[in-house]
Amino acid sequence: MSAAIEITNLYYRYHDGTVALAGVSLRVAPGECVGLLGPNGSGKSTLLLHLNGILPEKPGGPGAVKIMGETVNKQNLEKIRRQVGLVFQDPDDQLFCPLAAEDVAFGPRQLGLSEAEVAGRVRGALAQVGLAGFGRRATHHLSHGEKRRLCLAGVLACDPEILALDEPTSDLDPRGRREFKALLRTIPATKLMATHDLELVVEMCPRSVILDHGVIVADGPTRDLLNNEELMLAHGLERPHILRHPHPHGP
Amino acid sequence: MHRLPASLKLGVALALIVGTVLAPPSWTAWFAGVAAVLALAIWFSRIPLLFLAKRLLLLSPFVLGAALVNAFGPAGGARWILLAARSALCLLAVILVSNTTPMSQILRVLQRVRVPALLITTIALMHRYIFVLADEAERMRRARLSRTFQRAGRPGWQMLATVVGQLFIRASERAERIYDAMCARGWK
Amino acid sequence: MHIPDGFIDGKTALAAAAISVAGVGVALRQVKRELPPRKTPLLGLAAAFLFAAQMVNFPVAGGTSGHLVGGALVAALLGPSAAVVVVTTVLIVQCFLFADGGLTALGANIFNMAIVNSVAGYAIYRAVCRVLPGVSGRVTAIAFAGWCATVLAAVCCAGELAFSGTVAWSAAFPAMAGTHILIGIGEGLISALVFLAIERTRPDMIAGTVGPDQPQRWGELVRYGLLVSLGVAIFVAPFACPWPDGLEHVAASLGFKHKAAPPLLPAPAPDYHFPGIHSAVGATAIAGAAGALIVFALALLLGRLLAPDRARGTSAGLEDA
Repeated sequence: MSAAIEITNLYYRYHDGTVALAGVSLRVAPGECVGLLGPNGSGKSTLLLHLNGILPEKPGGPGAVKIMGETVNKQNLEKIRRQVGLVFQDPDDQLFCPLAAEDVAFGPRQLGLSEAEVAGRVRGALAQVGLAGFGRRATHHLSHGEKRRLCLAGVLACDPEILALDEPTSDLDPRGRREFKALLRTIPATKLMATHDLELVVEMCPRSVILDHGVIVADGPTRDLLNNEELMLAHGLERPHILRHPHPHGP
Repeated sequence: MHRLPASLKLGVALALIVGTVLAPPSWTAWFAGVAAVLALAIWFSRIPLLFLAKRLLLLSPFVLGAALVNAFGPAGGARWILLAARSALCLLAVILVSNTTPMSQILRVLQRVRVPALLITTIALMHRYIFVLADEAERMRRARLSRTFQRAGRPGWQMLATVVGQLFIRASERAERIYDAMCARGWK
Repeated sequence: MHIPDGFIDGKTALAAAAISVAGVGVALRQVKRELPPRKTPLLGLAAAFLFAAQMVNFPVAGGTSGHLVGGALVAALLGPSAAVVVVTTVLIVQCFLFADGGLTALGANIFNMAIVNSVAGYAIYRAVCRVLPGVSGRVTAIAFAGWCATVLAAVCCAGELAFSGTVAWSAAFPAMAGTHILIGIGEGLISALVFLAIERTRPDMIAGTVGPDQPQRWGELVRYGLLVSLGVAIFVAPFACPWPDGLEHVAASLGFKHKAAPPLLPAPAPDYHFPGIHSAVGATAIAGAAGALIVFALALLLGRLLAPDRARGTSAGLEDA
């Protein structure tokens, strides 16, 4: 069974010289939900940007990324970008169209679908994230939680096999977080989530990976990693409360 | 009024404005007619009159300047009244259209009139991000106020220029992230 | 300087619109050619920036405040064609959404503020940068360019008003030029300060405005130069210079001739006269040049004041702590 995501020995340097990724190797099976943890500046966002070929800007560096068995290169970018749905950290960067429906329609239109199909996908995606009827709303006037869900809708409208999420629950209030979590559970795609929200990871990802200074320092069952206090503290994280004190409402 | 098709509203407004600008002073019937049409439109659109009055004041510098100049001239007041009336009527027409038509519809009309795509995308992006940048500017203002301990808190030009400079840098960096987001969803 | 509807007449509006359409067309083509795809959203974002920046009030004494117009600034940072597109976008949105500037006057406003302001600002910025090195040189350049661009745009505006017969040239020119000579100083100062603020955080943005990475823009500038000259010839020249007889006949038959109306205000002539020079035009030109030289000297001083350690392009200061 081929991996959904297969990263082999990936290196990346910013143009000011700092090394962001120093030999990252990672294998994610189809349908898995993996948490990508690490302190700020560890390279999580940079890694996610490699999944759909946005990085590296100039190909030819060391290491390779394979999506659904195919190596990402300049020729197959269109296909890869349909297969990998990337949800960005700042919704205002991702939602660049003034109206909600327009933004969700962007991806399907780029895929070359007919207007009728596009409309169908938009309706479906908005309904899937619980924003049915929000089509005519101005993106700027949405609440933060609604914006995050709209970002997800825009990505889901392209029907990706893999979902890469960058800090999906940051800035969300508890209700927004619960709703987003419930929503993620309903999506069968392979998921790789870069996040500081350790409780989210415990609740949703059976497996986690810790990235620090551009290398993967740990890869295993989430509870084992997060219960290892030494490991967590050594890499700028900490043992989450949910493991210290079981949540009264259950995970 | 809000539900009329944008192309109709824009077309009528354009016709009214061009007509008003070109009409010679003797055509009082035309001016009266335009005023009547606008009055009807105002009534249908339910836009508050106070709002319209405030917007009309935007004309002031040019109108005042022209008034001053013409006050010394032979034709005097009559010329100025004509000028002010023309401008006010045209301004009302534009305000009515802009307040009853969402920007995306206006852009679609412009697209049909063959305005170049690059310009339309630029206008759309500008419209989308005006508020985002305004929010950032407001956050910077509040941050500055929180660390200003003098009573009046009047910002120095240096401080204001720093805010403006920051706005440009942030806009620039955000533009790159937006490009990445567009690529991530298949933009070619 | 946004001209409302009704202040310029049909022929002026049409002429200005024609020139502006051509100018914006040149700009769009140039931008498509030279802007890397990565930077396409930058046009829209820069327009949003300009709009937001224009709302920042810089307090002047007595409750008044100035604000940045920014054509020269954007031109220096992004290039002249990008600036034309950016300012045009801002003007279109201001016209349609905020009724700031008339619909029929859009052509004239674009000519004045998007084309003349940006292109002149850019040309002067580059010219001064060639002569003065380092960060302080750039500061001087943008300050002087900002001032010149403002005044030139104002002169074109006066020309359009006079050509339409709305306001006589003898009133429009001193009013517009006079006020904008002062307003321009604010523009230059603010542009300089903003430039420096950008330089402190992102010196690469400022350094990149001049130098080997910048494409050669001669062809571009020549095209704009032709359009601007055309506009100036139609709107300004008839008032500033007596036309040769042959052209006057042609102009009269086409209906373009305008006799300068008798001055409605006491002639500001004494201020514009230099001893020994009798032509009003010549005197104005010399006074204008003298004024520009004074402003240039002020800009030079500003550059030295604001960026003293950086006269040689090296940066020193708190950042090195």
